[in-house]
Amino acid sequence: MNRKIHWRPFAHAAVTAGLLLALGACSQEYPNSTFNPTTDFNTDIIALWDSLLFWGTVVFVVVEVLLLWTLWRYRRRPDGPEPTNVHGHTALEITWTVLPAVILVMIAIPTVRTIFRTQAPAPAGSLQVEVIGHQWWWEFRYPELGITTANELYIPVGRTVNFQLTTADVIHSFWIPQLGGKRDLIGNRVNHMWFTPDPAMTTQVFNGSCNEFCGTSHANMKFRTFAVQPNEFESWARHQKSAAAYPVAQESTGALAEAQQEPAAQDSATVAPVAAAPSGFTADSGYAFPAADLPDFARPHTPLPSGLTFTEGLTGDAERGRQIYSRTACIGCHKIEGNPISIGIIGPNLTHIASRTTIAGALYPNDTRHLSLWIKNSRVMKHGSIMPTLGKGEHDPITGAVINTGGLTDQEIADIVAYLQALK
Amino acid sequence: MATAAAAPPYAETTPVGAPTGLWSWITTVDHKRIGILYLYTSLFFFVLGGVEAVTIRAQLIGPNNTLLNAELYNQLMTMHGTTMIFLAVMPLSSVFFNFLIPLQIGARDVAFPRLNAFSYWIYLLGGVFITVPIFFGLAPNAGWFAYAPLTDRIFSQGLHIDFWVLGIQILGISTLAAAFNFITTIINMRAPGMNLMRMPMFSWMAFIVQFMVVLAFPVLTIALIFLQFDRFFGTNFYITSNGGDPLLWQHLFWIFGHPEVYILVLPAFGLVSEVLPSSAKKALFGYPVMVYSGILIGFLGFGVWAHHMFAVGMGPVADTVFGLTTMLIAIPTGVKIFNWIFTLWGGSIRFTTACKFAIGLVAVFTIGGISGVMHASPPAVLQQTDTYFIVAHFHYVLYGGSMMGIFAGIYHYFPKMFGRMMNERLGSWHFWLNMIGMNMTFFPMHFSGMLGMPRRIYTYDAGQGWDVFNMISSLGAFLLVPATAIFIYNFFRSKKHGPVAGPNPWDAPTLEWSIPSPPPEYNFATIPVIESRYPLWDVTHPDRTADIPHTTEGWDKAESAAHAAPVHEETGMKTAKELGIPMPLPTAKPLVTAIAILILFGGLLLTHITGLKVAVAIMIGGGLMLIFSLYAWLTSPLE
Repeated sequence: MNRKIHWRPFAHAAVTAGLLLALGACSQEYPNSTFNPTTDFNTDIIALWDSLLFWGTVVFVVVEVLLLWTLWRYRRRPDGPEPTNVHGHTALEITWTVLPAVILVMIAIPTVRTIFRTQAPAPAGSLQVEVIGHQWWWEFRYPELGITTANELYIPVGRTVNFQLTTADVIHSFWIPQLGGKRDLIGNRVNHMWFTPDPAMTTQVFNGSCNEFCGTSHANMKFRTFAVQPNEFESWARHQKSAAAYPVAQESTGALAEAQQEPAAQDSATVAPVAAAPSGFTADSGYAFPAADLPDFARPHTPLPSGLTFTEGLTGDAERGRQIYSRTACIGCHKIEGNPISIGIIGPNLTHIASRTTIAGALYPNDTRHLSLWIKNSRVMKHGSIMPTLGKGEHDPITGAVINTGGLTDQEIADIVAYLQALK
Repeated sequence: MATAAAAPPYAETTPVGAPTGLWSWITTVDHKRIGILYLYTSLFFFVLGGVEAVTIRAQLIGPNNTLLNAELYNQLMTMHGTTMIFLAVMPLSSVFFNFLIPLQIGARDVAFPRLNAFSYWIYLLGGVFITVPIFFGLAPNAGWFAYAPLTDRIFSQGLHIDFWVLGIQILGISTLAAAFNFITTIINMRAPGMNLMRMPMFSWMAFIVQFMVVLAFPVLTIALIFLQFDRFFGTNFYITSNGGDPLLWQHLFWIFGHPEVYILVLPAFGLVSEVLPSSAKKALFGYPVMVYSGILIGFLGFGVWAHHMFAVGMGPVADTVFGLTTMLIAIPTGVKIFNWIFTLWGGSIRFTTACKFAIGLVAVFTIGGISGVMHASPPAVLQQTDTYFIVAHFHYVLYGGSMMGIFAGIYHYFPKMFGRMMNERLGSWHFWLNMIGMNMTFFPMHFSGMLGMPRRIYTYDAGQGWDVFNMISSLGAFLLVPATAIFIYNFFRSKKHGPVAGPNPWDAPTLEWSIPSPPPEYNFATIPVIESRYPLWDVTHPDRTADIPHTTEGWDKAESAAHAAPVHEETGMKTAKELGIPMPLPTAKPLVTAIAILILFGGLLLTHITGLKVAVAIMIGGGLMLIFSLYAWLTSPLE
């Protein structure tokens, strides 16, 4: 990697070409590079980019060489000649009008072809995924599979994914740089984008982000995409569409819960334990990308904001947590399939939250400490967060109020965390 | 170089007969003094926008930095864009429109001198209105293009967006008033014999820009009025939950916004076209082609707006059309680049600071032009739009293009404005630091963008492969601080102590260099008679203009030469009164009118603070003040 060269402004072409070569070699170093032909969509884009870069470089070199040579050749010298007396040249003017036009035609033809190819309707049999943007997190729904999840997208390699993009509030833009271009999420309309991940691709994770400025925490609206093998996807999907793994205690839920849970429970009962499961498969929770295998770029490094504390050494009780969860504000916004009272739709669906690697729009890792602090005061954890501050005695930075009545104690939060962590 | 003591008497650095004192500045209607007011104000805002930029870069120097929080960053980012576009670069162009157009076309002032003063005051007040909230944490925070529905009250409570909506409306009044003024001036007030194809290239580009302003700004005004009605009167133009269409805002905004890019850059092109011929001792290459390509850019500039919207899903046909029109606009722009190079070709180039900046524009703007063509390919731009690649592109256009051209213009015309030369040594330092800093700041952004970094993010996580590029960008931005400091120091030092310039220190060919520096208030004691594009060279270097067609239109060359060059030596010491030239009377009424408009808009803003009663009372007060001041203005004599 010859990064130092970037200090020299005029080494444009050479550096870009060099970097492109280098990028292929060390994608680990540039995990969000747009230069990897991972999908049909991105391969098309890269082909266009290559021709744009080539012609751009040609024009750049011609212009700068001509300019620099002119400056050197015709610099004023004491004994220099008087300037030649030229004010125009029709043939030259025509030349530098026509030549760029020819170059543009060469760019335009593949451009137009690619536009119509990539914006054609998605092939039949594509996996349908609804992407819904929220301030500042992502909702993913698989309508054919009956799955709703948040901030972590699973797609099988080799199968076309057809995204239907909408928003719950302002305009967002859905982008996985490694997998292809971006598309905006706009109110009162449905946008489409599709691509097919290379069938030869190994199971891996890609970062995604929101690219249209969408308010305070625009920078914190990220997500992960797991491109997995078809059998892994099947296992993941089968588990995700089941109800929450944590059993609902019979005495507190009653018939309604049972009625709701029944089909789902049957589903989860049919999940076959995978014998001698390879990495990521577990008997009781289906496939999930193993957290231990996450590369560094997919692990959030966001530092914890100062001033937040949490009592050390508390042990949460999942059942107590479920009860607290079910009687507090949580249920107004969140849904847990299988918990009959938790039917909110404003916030992320938490049915299988424990199977995810991150929380809060991929801002923090999904571990006990971060989850506890998040519940305690999400608005300090993430600027502008719409989820209210819940911890007792906490200062809500948006309303300016201190939470007293109804606030959750650290022990109560620990219980809720234990409950959420049981939702594999 | 002549010193002050040895200078001939007409080379005094205060214009003959000029009034002094603060009141004379407040009441001035002289286009040159208004130009200088624009210069100071816009340089102030340029520095302010620069401080915002450097703060932004300080925040982004490393991953997960906590110098700024999200809210403050978003305000600074919005204000950096708004300040640089509306309060710095556009008014810096206005400096030259005001100062130069009458001088270049041989007029004694603009067509409507008092309207001109009004344009300045409303710009100043609008600038203050939109800038002050940053000191209270209330600055606009939705980005400079303020996409609906984020700007509706559902998502943006508080006064942030209110300041933006009303502030931009106020600034739009200034720009529009000035545009009509300059169009009238150029059409009606050219000296005898100055037909359009003899007009200096800067005046030509300025002429095109004014038409673009007149056609583009009303569209922005409409978009803003819709937004204003959504925010203040409960309409639903953009509110999606009530069936509004957020894309309406995007279309309206970019129908303004893309021509705006050329509004920002064409004046700089004009300045470069003035600087290069006098530096190379050679007439501008392909003058008619330069004119036509400018017109073509202005015309095509209105047909490409949706290339800002390739990610919104307009469908393949719209994407194709706007992709192709965008590619087309590269052709006239490229033609300009080649004509500048061939202006230098065969010349005898003297590398003054102005010349360096002009060449800098040609060299660096080219990069912005090339990345612009990359954005003309809709599928490719899906990987580029809203990333740092775009940030790199438009800074190469606006800093590498507009600002380089404006710096060239300032160094070139400083002697005409203030009668003294700027220091070339400091100028050289400014140029090189600027050139290195600018490329260091913006070039790595091409990489961070293509490596997946979205724009407008207040922070980014570690391990994303962007750290090095951001570090270089930030260091480059810090380098621009001493560069600009050197420029400001040079500016004020030269204004006081620079060597006296004389009327034509660059041996330049156009009319403004035939009169004393700084020019007397009446500009031309005798209105010159023009018979070619380069009236001064006709006299001093007839060989340089020999094969450019001259037409006499009733005057012979000798007579015109007698008019053009030596006029100042005879009459430079005389005041307008002694020469019997009627001058417009100084007046503060335009300022009072501008204040009334500010009160009117400010009253509307108060509906969100004090409630309706107080706000309506203030608006009625402002309205009455507006009516009375306009009445007083229109009924008082001009001269």
